[in-house]
Amino acid sequence: MKNVWFPSLTLLCLELSMRVGTAPICAYGQTGCHVPTLADLFDRVIQQSSRMHGISSDLHSEFEQYFFPSKNLIGKRKCHTYGILTPDDKENAQRLGREQLTEVILRLLGAWGDPMSQLYQSMSRDQNQDFNHYSSNKALEISDMVHELRDGVAKMTEKMKQFGVLGNTVGNISPESLVPSSALSSYTQGEFNSLDHHDLLYCFRRDSNKVKNYLRILKCTTLPGLDC
Amino acid sequence: MKKVVEVFLLFLLLVFTPHAKGTGNSPPGKPTLNRCRSPEKETFTCWWEPGSDGGLPTTFALYYRKETSETVYECPDYHTAGKNSCFFNKNDTSIWVNYNITVVATNALGSTFSDPVDIDVVYIVKPNPPERVTVIVLEDKSWPFLRVSWEPPHKADTRSGWITLVYQIRVKLEQEKDWETHHAGQQKMFNVFSLRSGGTYLVQVRCKPDHGFWSEWSSTSYVKVPDYFHREKSVWILIMVFSAFIFLILTWLLHMNSHSLKHCILPPVPGPKIKGFDNQLLKNGKSEELFSALVVSDFPPTTSYNYEDLLVEYLEVNVPEEQELMLEENKDLHDGCLKSECSTSDSDSGRGSCDSHTLLMDKCGEAKEEERQTDQERMGTEAEDMVSPDMSSGRVKTWPSVFSPLPQYSSNTLDEQSSLEMAKQHYLSDSQFLPSSTSSYLTQPGHGTKEALGPSYWEFCLSNKQPHLLHPQTQARQQLQAHSDVDISSIGRKQAPAGLQSPLLRPTEYVEVQRVNEEDMVHLQPVVSGCGQNNCSPQMPQGEDYSKVKGVDSDNVLLLQRNMMEEDRCPCEHQETNGVKENCYTSSTVTTTQKPTAMPVQDEMVLGMNGYVDTATMCILPTY
Repeated sequence: MKNVWFPSLTLLCLELSMRVGTAPICAYGQTGCHVPTLADLFDRVIQQSSRMHGISSDLHSEFEQYFFPSKNLIGKRKCHTYGILTPDDKENAQRLGREQLTEVILRLLGAWGDPMSQLYQSMSRDQNQDFNHYSSNKALEISDMVHELRDGVAKMTEKMKQFGVLGNTVGNISPESLVPSSALSSYTQGEFNSLDHHDLLYCFRRDSNKVKNYLRILKCTTLPGLDC
Repeated sequence: MKKVVEVFLLFLLLVFTPHAKGTGNSPPGKPTLNRCRSPEKETFTCWWEPGSDGGLPTTFALYYRKETSETVYECPDYHTAGKNSCFFNKNDTSIWVNYNITVVATNALGSTFSDPVDIDVVYIVKPNPPERVTVIVLEDKSWPFLRVSWEPPHKADTRSGWITLVYQIRVKLEQEKDWETHHAGQQKMFNVFSLRSGGTYLVQVRCKPDHGFWSEWSSTSYVKVPDYFHREKSVWILIMVFSAFIFLILTWLLHMNSHSLKHCILPPVPGPKIKGFDNQLLKNGKSEELFSALVVSDFPPTTSYNYEDLLVEYLEVNVPEEQELMLEENKDLHDGCLKSECSTSDSDSGRGSCDSHTLLMDKCGEAKEEERQTDQERMGTEAEDMVSPDMSSGRVKTWPSVFSPLPQYSSNTLDEQSSLEMAKQHYLSDSQFLPSSTSSYLTQPGHGTKEALGPSYWEFCLSNKQPHLLHPQTQARQQLQAHSDVDISSIGRKQAPAGLQSPLLRPTEYVEVQRVNEEDMVHLQPVVSGCGQNNCSPQMPQGEDYSKVKGVDSDNVLLLQRNMMEEDRCPCEHQETNGVKENCYTSSTVTTTQKPTAMPVQDEMVLGMNGYVDTATMCILPTY
């Protein structure tokens, strides 16, 4: 007992003494934590979205290599987020304004949270061993990132509202209004096959690109700096 | 005729018709869409590759269909982008929309569709190369580096965030073939370090959207790096010179202190220290001299010695009191007497000590100094020369001073046997201050009596080699010498006016002892032919035996006898101790104890001088 007690105490002391001076990050500025700036938030969000898009691209290209080399089955799909009107042009996007752009981003992110987790579950559940372990992990990672990104963008929106950049109409969106229930129902039924996987990944890849792009536009209109 | 023409035409038709069919009027081959590219994500262009045209002029048409609608549109612009291309402008371009494009080739016989291609403009972006690439050379702590800066292609709208570009730079030296690639990220400026001095560098930049294709490399920018290698080299040269300088200094210091360092590092082994032991002599190899130094004074000499060299040199001379007093007036004791260079080391090991040597020494020193003072420059060397050969001759070692000042006598008064004993008992002193004494004495006759008396002195030459021992004895010696000098001079003077020229002209003769025969007779020989004392004739022949020692009488007086060759035989050959026949010029005998009548000298020992013998201070051995 004595032998264990002393090293543990030493470790405890060391841990307490070795705490680095960085304070935890908090969104509301409680005492003792480091509040990130808007620029920091933007940077983090943009980085996250870029990473998310990269992973989804990789996953999609894997699917295309192994399952659909001929590319003959493309053209009939419809993404479940088709109901969300997104600007498909630079002018359109710039014309939209910050508030609406933020809303679109939030809607997109909100629409993809569940489907991605379901995709992961479906992929890991697959008995055919169609997906290797690496691919299913990517799906899991994507689903996590979607959720994180949504939270991050929400926080950033709040901050922007604080700064008066955004109006107060943003952010009050219910999840059900984002996505038509019919489209979503097919996913919730859990009937996924590989075709569905492919379509899903294709749709997600595009939507993640949209999110990334919209966030960048938002940043450059809100905080024009040397990155823009 | 008509028939022939018709047949001919028919024939022609038949010939050409199948030929016309044979060239392949077929529908055109299948075109293929090469690529579609968008430079700024706002417009895009598609190019296709036509297939075989089927021999007929073929037209191409591009049709596309957007994802969201079923409407088929045709390419709005076939010309902007060149041949076999279709340019979609901003109005016709939608992002994040899937385009289904098909190209149709049509000729007279038919049309052929190409394979459809689905594209999304987002993923076909290939921007133009960066523009306005500038490269300048800057210095960072005297080390140069390249600063490359550029601007994004003007069509790409990065300002609004619509496109995000990442850049890449590549650098290479002019003469090399491999490029050095650097990733610059989203920044529009980049520093290149680690340059080679004096080289010309080529710089290129390209860009890519975060998901798209790399642009082409920008046009090459050339930049020349200045020569900084010389500065680097000069620093090295400076360091080398400085270190060489320090090295030289260290070497010089080492050399200067090499001796002390040698002492430090390799301390000399202490050798034995023996009193009187001279290492130099040992090195020179003269063991005789070396060991002779160690020999105790009263060590019996070896048989190798020449006994003649060991003659007793000293005669005791009793100087009359008056003369003593007179001489004492001249109280310049000098060390010169002792400092005389008894340079020649005689091998006489015998060293006696006179009891009264102190007396003698004192006299010697006293008188000698006076002599020196007066006539030091005269004949100093001359006398010395005379003396030294005598010394080195080996015959008479220690007595030249005794017989000089007037003539120089080699003090060979005794034979070998007696010399030994004499040596044991010798008193006096030392030596050779002959030069001074002789010189001084020589000039004496020219002077007055007093003068002659005063400065004249003799000195003994010690047989030993350590004159300093006899230093305390100089007084006695001087006295003795002085007395004898006086006597002699007086004697000489007395004789002089008898028949000779003026005293001024009276020369002094040097006598050297030629030999000592068995009868204890000293054969003297004149050295210089001057005006002889006895006869005082200039024609006095040289090589004439002056005198020989007749004997020693009871009073320890050396009786000298002049040995005339033919004429000039002095009738007064013998002179008694107490009698001096001053008138006898040719008297050859001079008794040492002859008293000069002219001088109130009462010393018993008088060296009667007709210029022979200067026996002023002599130590007479009683034994012989």
